[in-house]
Amino acid sequence: MANISCTDIVKSYGAHPVIEGMNLDIPDHEFVVFLGPSGCGKSTMLRMIAGLEEVTGGRIVIGGTDVTTLPPGERGVAMVFQSYALYPHMSVADNITFGLRRQGIARAEIAPRLAHVAQMLGLEPYLDRKPKNLSGGQQQRVAMARAMIKTPKVFLFDEPLSNLDAKLREKLRTEIRKMHLQLKTTTIFVTHDQLEAMTIADRIVLMRDGRIEQMGSPDEIFERPATRFVADFIGTPAMNFLHATMQDGHVARAGNIALRLSPTDFPRLRPGQNVELGLRPARMKLCPEGTPGALTGTVVLVENMGAEGQVITDVDGHEMSFTTPAFRGLAIGDRVSFAIDPGHVHAFDPQSGHSLREE
Amino acid sequence: MTRKRFVTLSLVPAIGLLATLALVSVAGAVWFSLMNRTLRSADYDFVGAYNFLRLLRDRRFMNALEISALWEIITVLGTLALAVLLAVMIFETVKKPLWRNLLCFAFLVPVLLPRVAAAFIWRFLYSPSLGVINYLCGLVGIGPVEFLADPSLALISVAVVDIWQWGLFFTVILLKLLETLPRDPIEAALLDRARTWEIHAYVTLPMLKGPLISLALVKAVESLRSFDLIFVMTGGGPGTATETLDLYAYQMGINMGGRISYASAMSILLLIVTTVAFTIIWKAGKKWAS
Repeated sequence: MANISCTDIVKSYGAHPVIEGMNLDIPDHEFVVFLGPSGCGKSTMLRMIAGLEEVTGGRIVIGGTDVTTLPPGERGVAMVFQSYALYPHMSVADNITFGLRRQGIARAEIAPRLAHVAQMLGLEPYLDRKPKNLSGGQQQRVAMARAMIKTPKVFLFDEPLSNLDAKLREKLRTEIRKMHLQLKTTTIFVTHDQLEAMTIADRIVLMRDGRIEQMGSPDEIFERPATRFVADFIGTPAMNFLHATMQDGHVARAGNIALRLSPTDFPRLRPGQNVELGLRPARMKLCPEGTPGALTGTVVLVENMGAEGQVITDVDGHEMSFTTPAFRGLAIGDRVSFAIDPGHVHAFDPQSGHSLREE
Repeated sequence: MTRKRFVTLSLVPAIGLLATLALVSVAGAVWFSLMNRTLRSADYDFVGAYNFLRLLRDRRFMNALEISALWEIITVLGTLALAVLLAVMIFETVKKPLWRNLLCFAFLVPVLLPRVAAAFIWRFLYSPSLGVINYLCGLVGIGPVEFLADPSLALISVAVVDIWQWGLFFTVILLKLLETLPRDPIEAALLDRARTWEIHAYVTLPMLKGPLISLALVKAVESLRSFDLIFVMTGGGPGTATETLDLYAYQMGINMGGRISYASAMSILLLIVTTVAFTIIWKAGKKWAS
């Protein structure tokens, strides 16, 4: 069990910087998710903490020990890879206990520990099999068992669920979360799947181009995105964006669309100022035509998502979508009105992309 | 024309040629081995299994059998050991692709050399009076060492040349195989606190078990045809210290005695022994690799 602290981490390949001056503190017991599009440096960051990648500059401290120059095996971390990275020629039991055997731990002590993790992950029937005779989900469980048996200070997961099908991914996600609640080991989990991040994390570190874009709880990231990039990256269906100009009475206008913003959330907006509005499809509701503040448009497409449907509409030349459980009554070409609570409207600076919301 | 017929027709010429070359000579050897032909006289008799029975009592034949087996074991194990050692060392220490490729290129040169040329070069290097190896030995106060004239050293000295040619070549192959292995299991082993040698002993080399067995078999077959190397370097001597079966058969049949029937019997026996041995090794290897 340990906290992790990264100070001024720089990583560059030749002259090409991948991570530029990253600072990050992860308290003990926390489940942190590195989230971001591919190429944002999240895996590189994880591999540097693991010691698989050299740090160009900066310091990494795990549990009070400076591990910046320590080899991977001496950092007290265990990692689960996207490809599972099992030793193909060894049986499941040998795979799991390989690390303990390398540490010279007595066989008599290894056996009960193996039995314990195998029981926890439901691997008892497979201990004598070779990895190639297991399904993807079972292989990933073996990889997790191999990490768990070492009782590391830190768990590192590098996109561990990306190679699994959707249903299994959901199941293992829950298992990983449960395992963390039970073991409370500090965990870093890398993913590019925002839904996975939202459901599993205590805290999300959203990265972009080697920098931290926003750090916070899933709720903070979802409800208070610090930048347009975060707002766009998080949430399915994706947020609607709309360029508008502020008018008197804290009203943002784009053509025929007029939305009143909350003066307490955005006290510094001045008439004439350009803003980019962000409207979450999930925060908008169908309403009768003529309701004050409602948007009215024609239905372009209805996407059935089961319990809800995403309705894509054309509002005054802008494509806007919203979700509603009542989508089954709608057909292409229908006129619909939908409204959003002013408290859920986001506004961003069109130049910098920063949120204009004041806390 | 159906596909099957097309395949059959296109295979016929090649297989026919191969069959003619292989079967005719084997049948000829079997025919010869049942008679008592020599190069000295034109008349001969049919003697049945006499040649084979005599072989079993021929101590020089038994010696040649032993030398052949020794030669196989030394060259195959030596080549693989050298290749594994060098490949792992280069894999761990030389990281720059340019240096690696230059090394690989240099390592390919010996095997490109005709074996007769390699044999002459090394015979010169081994020479007690002129050779550079003995000069170096002299500097540290050893020697001169009779590498090729000392019965206890000669076989090893010739094997060194074979291992030099093939071990370096296999090093290149193994290095390239190591490079194709996925990085993840190696990294997982690093996190599992495996030392460098443990990573290779427990992870990378077991992953290359299949290719390693194939390489061993290729080398075993190749080692069977080392006649030219041994012939040039020692001619089977000193005494019979480096006389393998093919050398003995040559000495018996063509060089000294001209007893081609006896030599033919020897070749047939060699053919049977190697076929049986290799089938067993191949089967065992396949079972072990899976």
